[in-house]
Amino acid sequence: MSFAASQARLRGAARWQRALLATHAWAVYLFLYAPILVLVLYSFNRSQRTAVWTGFTLDWYRRLFADRGILRAVDNSLIVALATTAITTVAGTLAALALARFRFLGKRATQSGLYLPVIVPEVVIGASLVTFFGVAGLRLSLATVIIAHVGFCLSYVAIVVRARLAGFDRALEEAAADLGAPAWGVFRRVTLPLIAPGILAGALLVFTVSLDDYVVTSFVAGVGSTTLPLQIYSMLKVGVTPEVNAVSTLLLALTIVLIAIAQRLQRPAESAQNVRGDSR
Amino acid sequence: MMRSAAFRALSSLAVLASFAAAFASCRGREAAAPAASAGANATASGGELHVYIWSAYLPDAVVEEFRRRTGVEVTVDVYDSNEALLAKLQSGVADYDLVVPSDYMMRILAHEHLLQPLDRSKITTLGNLDPRFLDKDFDRGNRYSVPYLWGTTGLGYDRKKLGAIDSWAVLFDPRHKGRILMLDDVREVFGVALRTMGRSINERDPKVLAQAAELLERQKPLVATYDSGDFANVLAAGDVDLAHGYNGQLAAAVAADPQRLAYVVPKEGGTLWMDSTAIPAKARNVANALRFISYVQEPEVNARIVDGVHYASANVPARKLIAPAILGDKAIYPDDTTLARCELLADLGDATTVLDRLWTEVKSQ
Repeated sequence: MSFAASQARLRGAARWQRALLATHAWAVYLFLYAPILVLVLYSFNRSQRTAVWTGFTLDWYRRLFADRGILRAVDNSLIVALATTAITTVAGTLAALALARFRFLGKRATQSGLYLPVIVPEVVIGASLVTFFGVAGLRLSLATVIIAHVGFCLSYVAIVVRARLAGFDRALEEAAADLGAPAWGVFRRVTLPLIAPGILAGALLVFTVSLDDYVVTSFVAGVGSTTLPLQIYSMLKVGVTPEVNAVSTLLLALTIVLIAIAQRLQRPAESAQNVRGDSR
Repeated sequence: MMRSAAFRALSSLAVLASFAAAFASCRGREAAAPAASAGANATASGGELHVYIWSAYLPDAVVEEFRRRTGVEVTVDVYDSNEALLAKLQSGVADYDLVVPSDYMMRILAHEHLLQPLDRSKITTLGNLDPRFLDKDFDRGNRYSVPYLWGTTGLGYDRKKLGAIDSWAVLFDPRHKGRILMLDDVREVFGVALRTMGRSINERDPKVLAQAAELLERQKPLVATYDSGDFANVLAAGDVDLAHGYNGQLAAAVAADPQRLAYVVPKEGGTLWMDSTAIPAKARNVANALRFISYVQEPEVNARIVDGVHYASANVPARKLIAPAILGDKAIYPDDTTLARCELLADLGDATTVLDRLWTEVKSQ
């Protein structure tokens, strides 16, 4: 067999492989997103029953914005998710830094304890939290929901940032310090930009985990703290209505916008990193 | 040097963290503060009321009207099962003033001392209630509860395909193989079998229960799915011709397509379910809760609730004010003879274990 022929065959095989891979990728995407597409589509369906398409309408969105219960639930969910993200992002990053940089008493235990909330079944977390709140005499409210969410979300940030720190070159910080940068300057201009993608990833993860948590929240929610997942579950009890689809669609849109913003924010950090990499 | 630098960076971040925490606790206090003050002046006009209720069970306008009339700030939270309600009240730190459990849960809540006896002198509209819905087994003398809304469990079906149906027997007919949906609920499914056998839904005799299980095992190959959540949609989509289910959702499906679908409580009788207003033992705004219980039984208010949520109430004078389409809908307001054939689910005591075992056997077959 000539060299050219075997080359051509290899190219042919590569083409096939590519086509196959592309098909596979599309199939996976379809599998992941087809249900969501259907959900979005049916939020514009005129029929009250979800299964039959009878025509386009915006009525469900109009109804949604008139439904005080749902609006308050959206409010609550956003408050909880934002507060949880703010607290866990800061505290989780600090924890990750401490674990990566320092040696201290009980470090091992802290480290393995970090994984516990991720592993322990949510039902157990929820049940133990509500018992704890009972003993502590804390009335169930939005505050207990935030406390609970911070409790099981902290680990996510710490773990993700920790992973980012694992590949961190300390020499960069030392170099900056040698060149006269003050500690805060080193942190802000060297450390933070380098671990920022990890922090952002952790924050986004926590935001979504908090936003759609049902199990733990169902245990610790109290007066005036019905979150969106709780609201949707209780609505399902009366049957899936397009109103549920409409609120899910809006939530989806919000998530997409957030991810888009996150990616945009991440870009300058990465290019800066590349520049640094080139000059090295 | 490095260490102190890192330390300073950490401490400035800690300041940030405490800001975030302060923000969160402010939010929390905002939510908690009115609750505390409401406890102090609960008897005065205004104050608060924390309602914990099923979703789509209390129209916004009705709540708004109560607020306008009394100055009471009403918070409405929703639950998705009686068990969720039980868990919340058992926690001991949930500040709900008014809950709406179903019949069987009422018994459990009262038994666990999670409800407080009602001061009936404060409920001025008690006389509006239909005696047929009072003094039930789950709460003798209505010590703890006032009936709110009720319904039946029956059969939704495709009448274009099947014609008129009036017996549970159709669910055991091999001709409908694969076109049957049953509720995924032990008591309701056994209820169908027992009724078909001419027995009570609350049968306790293990021998009879075993016979019912046998009947259900034979029925199983005919059943397309056991589903307690989406039964009405499955029927509306035409995926099954017969759907065993609660009347609320089936009535809505029938109303949307009355040419094709129908709902019936078969002649052997079905289940009657009742949700009642009650006050948790630890409620802080008892006076407001009593006011609200009284308020929802005012004929005009009650009619607006029924018109809004499409469930039947036990209020007699309200009937004159309820939309004729709803009052005339047999799926919502069955006629008196049908209603008389329906039973509330009773507590089965020891037979519960037997029933659960038999149900597991049927399901796992």
